[in-house]
Amino acid sequence: MNGICPECAAEVELPGDATSGEIVTCGDCGVDLELTSVKPVKLETAPEEEEDWGE
Amino acid sequence: MALDRAYAEQLLEDMVRTESLSGEEQAVAALIVERMKALGYDSAEVDGAGNAVGHLGSGPRRLVLLGHMDTVPGEVPIRREGDLLYGRGSVDAKGPLATFIAAASLAGAAPDWTITVVGVVEEEAASSKGARFVAPLWRPEACVIGEPSGHDAVTLGYKGRLVCEYRYAQGTSHSAGPLPSAGQIGVAFVNAAQAAADELNVGQKRVFDQISPNLLSIHSENDGLEESVTLTISWRVPLWFERESWEAGLRAVASGLDEEEGSHELRFYGSEVAYKGTKNNPLVKAFLAAIRSQELKPRFKVKTGTADLNILGPVWECPILAYGPGDSSLDHTPNEHISLDEYWSGVQILREAVQRLTQG
Repeated sequence: MNGICPECAAEVELPGDATSGEIVTCGDCGVDLELTSVKPVKLETAPEEEEDWGE
Repeated sequence: MALDRAYAEQLLEDMVRTESLSGEEQAVAALIVERMKALGYDSAEVDGAGNAVGHLGSGPRRLVLLGHMDTVPGEVPIRREGDLLYGRGSVDAKGPLATFIAAASLAGAAPDWTITVVGVVEEEAASSKGARFVAPLWRPEACVIGEPSGHDAVTLGYKGRLVCEYRYAQGTSHSAGPLPSAGQIGVAFVNAAQAAADELNVGQKRVFDQISPNLLSIHSENDGLEESVTLTISWRVPLWFERESWEAGLRAVASGLDEEEGSHELRFYGSEVAYKGTKNNPLVKAFLAAIRSQELKPRFKVKTGTADLNILGPVWECPILAYGPGDSSLDHTPNEHISLDEYWSGVQILREAVQRLTQG
């Protein structure tokens, strides 16, 4: 199963058992991607980690 | 009893109206147990620590939803202004806990699973009594901690903490003499501790990845025979923090500052390790999909405070995150409030996440 990186258009290989919500890294540009749909395969930029203070 | 938005809002308002300072959670625990029973939980009771504990289902796989019942002091007049509910604990963390109670009820029991909802005592106290009590009781497959992340975000990790109390005393000397005063020694200790943190923080861009000092108190006195300084420093510490070497370094600093006629005492306490869960696990996946199902774009957060996640994450070693509606910048403030629209959205998102996790 492969997808297309929305940042650099590279082909991204996905694990065979990947499910919605899987986080993968684009081998070309290094950005983290979230598999938001399996059929059809759709990759979106994964949420970045924001810093927040408090509990 | 079927749970709807009006019931969920009343549940939260009733919880906020029931005062529950740390160590005084009995009334709110009784309220929560009563509402869990009314909502059809299979069992609900107050445990030996004073936690309110309810279970849905009886399967061997366990999901724990755990939030704290206690609040910090400070009266915030309870009122509704449009969509906003004001009151102490509305955000930190009765909003998230009420979200758990309501969402678990809506999700319902699943075959093979037990959903355990816990309102714990004394999270705002250094003891974290409630979380420590339940830590050895279960080995859940997943855990959600109730803290305000915002309904569209999940919190992956929290910094840790370490506190030290330093006291230095020496015989009183003339202020015109060459010896530094006890107060100056105390300031030198604070500055050395700051410099040690600055050195280790080189290259760490995020506050989450830095040692962050906070001078909590400093006091010097002189009774004519002895002069002394007592101070307390708290550090919020990152994942890479090495407590033993840090403490050894500061003990060496303290010894190096001792004058011939002076001596120091140094005590470290309140240690919590930083903890950050992974992103690629069934729990995070369920939340990402659930947040997107509400047509929101999910966000990840890491926080510079500490929570019960710091205690339970290392013990349970399961997928764990913190979730809850509300803005954590309102924690502990006189303006504490929560959006009831966001609260209800959080209930829907958590219901969806729980169902995705436990029912596929």
